[in-house]
Amino acid sequence: MIKRTIYIGSPAYLRLKQKQLVVENPEDKSIKGTVPIEDMALLMLDHYQITLSNQLLLKLQGNNVAVVSCDAHHLPFAMMLPLYGHTEHSDRIKHQLEASEPLKKQLWKQTIEQKIKNQQALLKMNDKPYEQMDLYWQHVKSGDTTNCEAKAAQHHWKYLFENFTRERFGNSPNNLLNFGYAVLRSIVARALVSSGLLPVLGIFHRNKYNPYCLADDIMEPYRPFVDKMVYNYISQYGVPEKLTKECKAYMLNIATQDVWIDGVERPLMVAVTTTTASLYKCYEGELRQIKYPTLD
Amino acid sequence: MLSDTNRFNAYRIMWVLVFFDLPTETKKERRAASQFRKKLIDDGFTMFQFSIYLRHCPSRENAKVHTKRVKSILPKYGKVCILEITDKQFGNMELFHGVKPIEVPQPVQQLELF
Repeated sequence: MIKRTIYIGSPAYLRLKQKQLVVENPEDKSIKGTVPIEDMALLMLDHYQITLSNQLLLKLQGNNVAVVSCDAHHLPFAMMLPLYGHTEHSDRIKHQLEASEPLKKQLWKQTIEQKIKNQQALLKMNDKPYEQMDLYWQHVKSGDTTNCEAKAAQHHWKYLFENFTRERFGNSPNNLLNFGYAVLRSIVARALVSSGLLPVLGIFHRNKYNPYCLADDIMEPYRPFVDKMVYNYISQYGVPEKLTKECKAYMLNIATQDVWIDGVERPLMVAVTTTTASLYKCYEGELRQIKYPTLD
Repeated sequence: MLSDTNRFNAYRIMWVLVFFDLPTETKKERRAASQFRKKLIDDGFTMFQFSIYLRHCPSRENAKVHTKRVKSILPKYGKVCILEITDKQFGNMELFHGVKPIEVPQPVQQLELF
């Protein structure tokens, strides 16, 4: 089932009452709304004047809700997830830890292949030069030793937007992309936890400062869906100067984007759980192919 | 291209309505009635009228879950009615306060901004 995303962007007092999240206005104590906790997937806190109770936090974590807080630039800064979200947690982690190096390299190969295919589909959809991408995804080696990912990315960014350089803190629409990716990352991390996997232990990313390596691995083929949303936004409204509330509301819809996965059409948030479940099966040895969405 | 909206169309979204008439003669009965009401709220139902509660469900499957839950908390005495309708049907409802028409509750959004 598709769960709900709640974004708090104004002063609020959040508390728990009868298994509901209650959003209260701190000025006049009026109740702005209630949401059943079991229906939630993501709670985004984007204002300095938000207060929430510990009991609420516990309940949110008990229901595997990703709590994301944003910094002064209104970009997601921290994420809070339960330590375990699956009953077979230790058993599953054992499989994950024991995964062999060749298996991880194979999984990484599949991930990059699908990412490039999705990038290609996005270029094709918008009548940009896409033929060259064939070359990249056909030549992905185990563990992507020839670094086709970077070559494809270069091509992708060169042709997708005009006069654009992809940088972490670069000009717009970089901020829009960053916001979208951060939301996507929290959706993926949440799904990993609910499949009983450790988001810390990546298959390719191994930066010792990164607590969500596996989320960064698994989200790769999903990134073009964010790119697609940003592209559509820009072609409709032009390049936004700032990351406004409307921009963020638009980008938060990433969770409900329909994608094709494993022969069926699903909202992205549901597809991510299909992917993480298949990832576990790969670790366990039941599957050889990780299930990723296709962009069309 | 896939449309973004077909997953949330008015024929998939369901509303579960619970109507009840519970005896409140004795203290015990009043307690049973208020317990039932509290459990409904715990499950995400909101009051529509004094003894009518409703809940928005994003799919038929989800509506079944909540119907089942209501069945599991039924009070021993009194009448309870559970009704599942589509958002389309729900949206056709006409509501009045006195003679003044009022707005029908809106289905919840997947994304909610506060």
